[in-house]
Amino acid sequence: MRQLVIHQSGPAASIQDSGRTGCLQLGLPPSGAMDVNGLASGQYLLGHSADEAAIEMAYGNLLASPTEPCQIAVTGATVDLRIDGISARMHTVLRVEAGQEIHITPGATGIYSYLHVGGGIDTPEILGSRSTSAREGVGGFDGRRLMNGDRLPLGKPTQLPSSRNGDLTYIPPGDLIRLRFVPGFQYASMQPDATAALCENDFVVTPKANRMGVQLEGSRIDTGIETLLSEATTHGAIQIPPGGHPIVLLNDRQAVGGYPKPGAVIRSDCRRLAQARPGQRVRFSLCSPQEADRISWLEQHYQDTRLL
Amino acid sequence: MFEVGPAGEDGLRLVFLEAPHPALTRCLLRIQSEAEGYFGENLADSVVGYTTLTLLFHPFRLERDRAEAWLTEQADCPALADPDDDSLTGTLVTLPVLYHPSVAPDLEWLADQKDISVDQIIALHAGTTYFAYATGFAPGFCYLGDLPAELATPRLANPRKAVPAGAVGLADRQTAVYPGISPGGWRLIGSCPRPLFQSGDHPTACLAVGNSVRFEPITTQEYRNFGGEL
Repeated sequence: MRQLVIHQSGPAASIQDSGRTGCLQLGLPPSGAMDVNGLASGQYLLGHSADEAAIEMAYGNLLASPTEPCQIAVTGATVDLRIDGISARMHTVLRVEAGQEIHITPGATGIYSYLHVGGGIDTPEILGSRSTSAREGVGGFDGRRLMNGDRLPLGKPTQLPSSRNGDLTYIPPGDLIRLRFVPGFQYASMQPDATAALCENDFVVTPKANRMGVQLEGSRIDTGIETLLSEATTHGAIQIPPGGHPIVLLNDRQAVGGYPKPGAVIRSDCRRLAQARPGQRVRFSLCSPQEADRISWLEQHYQDTRLL
Repeated sequence: MFEVGPAGEDGLRLVFLEAPHPALTRCLLRIQSEAEGYFGENLADSVVGYTTLTLLFHPFRLERDRAEAWLTEQADCPALADPDDDSLTGTLVTLPVLYHPSVAPDLEWLADQKDISVDQIIALHAGTTYFAYATGFAPGFCYLGDLPAELATPRLANPRKAVPAGAVGLADRQTAVYPGISPGGWRLIGSCPRPLFQSGDHPTACLAVGNSVRFEPITTQEYRNFGGEL
């Protein structure tokens, strides 16, 4: 059986695809790749369908080798990639012989990178997805993050890899990331001071950032709302706990929560936020659902033209 | 009274501006089921909360105006016409519980506080049929109500760092079972040896919103037979 042997897994590597749908009522988060562009460009390069899984690394740190020759592509945040010690390029298809070592170490910016292997990572689909929800012990490899010594089953490649670069190259953020959000949930019942403070001040990404969400620090937001009946959280929802420091909820969020939320950050800005390292400055601004639609269409168009 | 609004760029949220109520939950569950049929593949996920229904769509699949109009029409719910109907008609789930100080650190404290015996606490807690209003922060967690007023108790000021899996807790007029080890601020009066959530190849939870739930007191021996550890 074709396998990828993980010699060093790094702190937070897991198997992810585009995520799980229809499981929030069960209490399971969607999980899935934090940077969907990183996932999509690797799938394009290797001729994979949109539901193939890859290995997601946080602060890329991985040493692995295949048991049989295979093709790989590394995408997402910039990392240093070496095959048997020889420097290799990201965002292109590379052939790796049996036993050769793929060594990935962190680059200067960004967080999440993806190692794609031709044929995909062939762990079982659980509730329609191979994504790992580590807190709940569901999906991926035995429901957990990767560990040293894991041997991941690989699928059979059915498509020829692309001869071109499928480059949705990760673009490092500038000084400031905009977090455009669609107002909703408790926005109207919050004190006007609170919603104003959210948009008028810059916030900074704290080290409390992971697949669940990103905690920000800046001026404390007093929502004036004390208790709330539990309701669904959504991707990008801005949750404001009693401490007043907003958390933008992401892929591994709790499916249901009871903290007030003034709205939810749009998809494309969530992707940038997910890749932001601690210290990154961010600023919230309001965005109508119509404007969010236009931004999404533009991004989709950009992606389509880059992956043709 | 209800409102329909956005839940992020790909979502819609219906909220009823009234107190939680079994009839309201049944209405939300009905709309959820209708929405699955009406929106079909366009709908990625949906969640019923205490007073809310959140519909999440796949990217580019939400036709906002049409969907809002449909949801507004659905929210006019005949079941809500009779607010006194608090009948518990959902599937009945019975959960075995060991009520014993060795697994329930707040059981004797609660008896002291309420000036009743431990046996009376058990009789009250296990003598009530509860309604599952909402799923909670983890798979398998369900908010159950309403707890008899005699047992209503505030949360711990400082939540415990680790509540064991199966712990049966109380807070205000609610009760619940913790499905896995987690931090928690509810008062613990028992332990349920039956797993509330199973991962593996076919993840399942033993409680769902709309269920009726009863607790059945068991002996230490029965607790062990269920696989409970003391």
